[in-house]
Amino acid sequence: MKRLYMFFAIFIYALSIQQVAAAPEDKPFAEQKIVLQISDPNPFKQTLVLNVASNIIKHYGQDKVDVEIVAFGPGLRLLFKDNSNKDRITSLDGSGVRFAACKNTIAGMSKKLGHAPELHGSATPVTAGVVRIIDLIDKGYKLVKP
Amino acid sequence: MFNNKLKKYLFAAGLINCLLLPTANAANWLMLQGTEPDSSAPRAKLWGFIQAQYQKDYSDANSTGGYIPPKLIGPNLTTQDSFNVNRARIGVRGTGFPLDGKVNYFFLSEFGNNGITAPGDRNVRITDASITLNQIKGARIRLGLFKTPGFEEGLQAIHVFDYINFTTVANQLMLERFPNRLYTNNIAPISLPSPTPIGGFGRSVSAFRDVGIQVFNTFKVNAWEHSYAAMLGNGNGLNFGDNDNNKETYLYWSSEQVYSGKGGRRQGLKFFAWTQNGKRQLANADTVTPAVTATVNDTGGNPVTVVVTPEVRAINDPTQYDRKRSGVGFKYLKKPWRVSAEYLKGEGMIFVGPDKPTFRINPAAPAGVGSGANGEASGWYVEGGWYIPGTKWEIDLRYDVYNRLTNDTPFPGGPNVGKTFEMEFKTFTVGAQYHINKKTRINMEYADRSAEAVDFPTGAGPNDNLSSLGDRFAIQLTHIF
Repeated sequence: MKRLYMFFAIFIYALSIQQVAAAPEDKPFAEQKIVLQISDPNPFKQTLVLNVASNIIKHYGQDKVDVEIVAFGPGLRLLFKDNSNKDRITSLDGSGVRFAACKNTIAGMSKKLGHAPELHGSATPVTAGVVRIIDLIDKGYKLVKP
Repeated sequence: MFNNKLKKYLFAAGLINCLLLPTANAANWLMLQGTEPDSSAPRAKLWGFIQAQYQKDYSDANSTGGYIPPKLIGPNLTTQDSFNVNRARIGVRGTGFPLDGKVNYFFLSEFGNNGITAPGDRNVRITDASITLNQIKGARIRLGLFKTPGFEEGLQAIHVFDYINFTTVANQLMLERFPNRLYTNNIAPISLPSPTPIGGFGRSVSAFRDVGIQVFNTFKVNAWEHSYAAMLGNGNGLNFGDNDNNKETYLYWSSEQVYSGKGGRRQGLKFFAWTQNGKRQLANADTVTPAVTATVNDTGGNPVTVVVTPEVRAINDPTQYDRKRSGVGFKYLKKPWRVSAEYLKGEGMIFVGPDKPTFRINPAAPAGVGSGANGEASGWYVEGGWYIPGTKWEIDLRYDVYNRLTNDTPFPGGPNVGKTFEMEFKTFTVGAQYHINKKTRINMEYADRSAEAVDFPTGAGPNDNLSSLGDRFAIQLTHIF
């Protein structure tokens, strides 16, 4: 019985860790699951990926679609705290869009900057942006790279 | 007096805002030209624009068949009828190290044919080369060559200017011509056709720019956006270095109620005030060293005269003169309507024409009459536009007045005793714009112009040239890339 309790406790702990490591997918009634990739240095792509997310929400409805934007490489600038699109990010966060920030990229940028970049409050760090995308695809998400 | 009060007000208001108010990122001319969007600027954005135009002047010659610059098409001033590529600018802007968007740069060069490139027959000239540091909250710092904070017509981006030609007050009072370093003979009114341009200046016009350091920022308070700028510059236009020990000071303030949009055609109601102060150096006399000639035989054994040493004229007795400019105005833009107006005033270094560009604005020539060195001038304009709903057309109307040498010294004797060279210029411009797309438009305008020396009868004295000043038609195609 003790072993059963221990196993159950470890299972619950492991489950909670996985949920922290990967931002929660909290839209059980979503009919569409979409992951948007931003990894391009072109600032126009920042506006474009936000526009796409906004249009998806408008089309399907906030509760009928699950959208996550994964930023890595040069695209991580989208999630910098002072980004000129910060108000739009906050607004999309309020509509249920999730933002994942690649920890590998954060580490690389920290070396170049001499300090860690300050991220937008809506950004959730994930171990690796590309791994996060693969995981989401495995869970049935469709990848869109505007 | 006006300058000093305005300076104090601008400084106090700027200081209060620096300390109390949060910053805003919305755009205006200071922000549009001096900063990049935070964390979303490219490393290098290539951009530019081309303006090709045709102008025709309908002025008549003076009584001896001569034409003066306002009757000729600039910058070459050799004809009354010309096609021209007046602006062809290409530049790059962005942030060199994208991970730290707090450092921006702006570079722009001019390949067109205008007052920037024509003097000295330059093919290309750098018009902007600046770096902006955005680390200090409330006080962005811009260093280098860039547009000075000042009157709206000059500060705005020229590729979204609603007219083709500047107002007279902008052209004469604000667009600074720099006296030549070496003596230049007077060029009398020319007859047409003429192979010789009447423009005698050897250096670029200021293009409303200077090299220096500017502290500036914009603050948002509800729907209002307040901006300030304080700049210290060389007062030497596009020339990278300084030519004297005096520095130019510029102060600027604007408050704008923002309605909608962004960029150069953002809609809002803006009030602004500005002032600039500096000194310029002029020569009071010139020394002539005659040419040395000799007679020699040519290859055929015939005697010919050759110049051994050319005539040298040196300008002497350099003297410092004040150059002060100030103005207040507003601009309202809420489609389909646009209205703006501005009053400008100047003291010292008043441009009175290209006649002897080394020393004509010298108080000693002739006997102080008609001198711009200590002259005063003022002017104003009011203009408006109407975007015809449902079309790509826009109609523009502008009326501008310029009073030059309002404090001129009267002739002490002779046939013109008591008269001055005070002049008044009035222009009524009717224009239209057709927006082919967001980046391409056609401007057309017809200017009804008049000018007179107020103390002289029609056709007499300076009015021999001014009374025959005629209208001007211009059409221009602008494409931004």
